[in-house]
Amino acid sequence: MNVRKIVTIVDETMLEGGRAVSPAARVAVVAAIIENPWDGQPFVEDLSSGIRDNASDIGALLAPKVIDALGGPVEAYGKAAIVGLDGEIEHGSALIHTLQFGDHFRKAAEATTLLPAVEKRGPAGVTFDIPLKHKTDATVRSHHQSIEVRIADAPHPGEIIIALAAASQGRPQARLAPLSSEQ
Amino acid sequence: MRAATAAVVANPWAGRGPDADLSVASAWLAPAIAASLLDRILRGLGGAESIEAFGKGAIVGTTGEIEHGGALIHTPYFGNLVRESLEGSSIICFADSRGAAGQPLVVPMWHKSAAATRSHYQTVDIRIPDAPRPDEIVVIAAASTGPRPHARIGDRTTDEAVSWNKLIGANR
Repeated sequence: MNVRKIVTIVDETMLEGGRAVSPAARVAVVAAIIENPWDGQPFVEDLSSGIRDNASDIGALLAPKVIDALGGPVEAYGKAAIVGLDGEIEHGSALIHTLQFGDHFRKAAEATTLLPAVEKRGPAGVTFDIPLKHKTDATVRSHHQSIEVRIADAPHPGEIIIALAAASQGRPQARLAPLSSEQ
Repeated sequence: MRAATAAVVANPWAGRGPDADLSVASAWLAPAIAASLLDRILRGLGGAESIEAFGKGAIVGTTGEIEHGGALIHTPYFGNLVRESLEGSSIICFADSRGAAGQPLVVPMWHKSAAATRSHYQTVDIRIPDAPRPDEIVVIAAASTGPRPHARIGDRTTDEAVSWNKLIGANR
């Protein structure tokens, strides 16, 4: 796994809808820009060796960093794979849609649910929104949220951005009726 | 390692016109912004001793004036406090802009105590998708823990004395 750089974003909301949010609503993102393990190769039918060589390492790299950046317990989480123009979206999916990748974050965050994800291909500076859901119950409506990310110089055509996102709470001023109230 | 921290604040002068006195609000608001930005940038980069370069910026929402951004970053109530907390002595380089929410800004940085140190000329990009609203201002402080990666374009001490006369003469 060749990491070119790591970008950390911490978003803190203190005021929403004109009312104070206390404590501030925090969302953290840590993104690693890595070389696409399949870059420069003709169509690769079997992605398993690239997954085996990279997915767990990237998950292990990012999980502690995003929890550290959040600076408190994780309540909601999500992930992203943004592939440079020379790659396939399947390359990004291969790296994040495996338990080898996600279990690092799931264990560190004491989570149980599937990680919601965005997969996309684009040029350097492409914007993407990472969806987040509650870490133990994906039906908890107050925690459905997303965060926008853009890295000006990534991904290069032969790179992939792999990112994890964590939130310390649901949406600021969340006040929708729970799903159970409609059943 | 480079970091940019941004505070999104209500523009205290939005809609007040060019006769508004900027000094009063600047004196109480700019230090409050500086305190929250500096706290985060120092924590993010590991303290003033780790920081070698700095910069600042402002993005003014569309109902404000560029001058409103200047009132928050170009007075001692911001600049002096940034310099003091990051233990620098240079003038702080800057960028400012006015735009809609999501307007990107490339924030320049240079060495905090020797501004002409060429290896430390660098920038960091920042963009906040939902800010500034028309009546808000994004105020930015940025810092770097070192020079550009693989900086190798020399310095003033190694430069040749280049002039038009010399270049044209050499081609004759």
